[in-house]
Amino acid sequence: TAGNKIFHFGPCRISMSMTEIRSSFTAIKANIQARDPIRTLSILSHPHSLHKVKSSDRCCITHHLFNFYVDKVFKHCKTEDSYVNRKISSIANSFLSVKRKLEQCHKQNKCMCGQESAEKFKQILANYEGLNVIAAAIKSLGELDILLNWME
Amino acid sequence: SGELYCSLPNPRNVHFESINMKNVLHWSAPEGTGDGVLYKVKYSVYGVGKWIRKPECRNINRTWCDLSSETSDYEEQYYASVKAFLNGMCSDWMETTRFNPLTDTKIDPPMLSVSSTEKSISIILTAPEKWKRSPEGEAVSLLQVYPGLQYNVSVLNKKTKKRWFFSISNNTLVVPWLEPGTAYCVSAQIYVTTPLLHSGFSKEYCIATLKEKMA
Repeated sequence: TAGNKIFHFGPCRISMSMTEIRSSFTAIKANIQARDPIRTLSILSHPHSLHKVKSSDRCCITHHLFNFYVDKVFKHCKTEDSYVNRKISSIANSFLSVKRKLEQCHKQNKCMCGQESAEKFKQILANYEGLNVIAAAIKSLGELDILLNWME
Repeated sequence: SGELYCSLPNPRNVHFESINMKNVLHWSAPEGTGDGVLYKVKYSVYGVGKWIRKPECRNINRTWCDLSSETSDYEEQYYASVKAFLNGMCSDWMETTRFNPLTDTKIDPPMLSVSSTEKSISIILTAPEKWKRSPEGEAVSLLQVYPGLQYNVSVLNKKTKKRWFFSISNNTLVVPWLEPGTAYCVSAQIYVTTPLLHSGFSKEYCIATLKEKMA
């Protein structure tokens, strides 16, 4: 469909509605980021940037991150604004379908995990667990453009 | 000026204005304050602990501050903040929203070079350069920043008013099977899919195809 993009992670090929996700996020970005008052901590970009991940680890990190967003982020991001909530669930649905595709790749040994990706994801989880659940979820959601920029 | 008592109204509308990643902080003067207001500016990298003062924008009376150099790493995101001073009084620090150079910059239209033959027009498109610290600095095309960059090109037959649109990824376009001795006007836009960005259309470049040679 229009706006779908194919990502090649070695043998693992994933199609993802990137344009739809990006436009949904752009619509709520200012609202969500305004709910995150903590400037001094990032979930995804510090102390280690995603941009330093080796290409061989990209699939595994992406798999971890999509599980992370589906299991630990979207469900804790309910707001009082129904428009924002609709956009969040639209993004969540897109992430869920990509998560399943990555799961398939993982089962078929096309999305291998190495030591470095495990370390990398451990750091991201540590950043997340350094905050209370709601603050961590809202901050993670507000950093979606960091994830999307890195993926693309 | 010593900061005695921060009851001055706050600077308003503190925001980044970014074109081709030239990232300039802008704000409006506090309400109801005449001349004489001075400002200072600080910025921070999102996810890193400290605010950093911008010395060149300390005690300034203008309402902008060029932070292009400080925000040139477009893999990072930033906040900036402004404080106002007048007659020993000060305002609160007023912050921008989170600024992401990669997604929040505006892109200029492409530059065009147009030539013609009897029955065709050739168009060469050049994407603008990313802001650079000095004229001698290395030129980085926005094509390198946005690998998914494409061009939308419009070609208008001035006589028949018929218009064609082309969407291309490389930077040259040859439009064949045109009428000899006819004026055509060309305009182009940059379109980026990752992230979603597009420039305005360039101004029109008009050129005539050569007249048909007598047999």
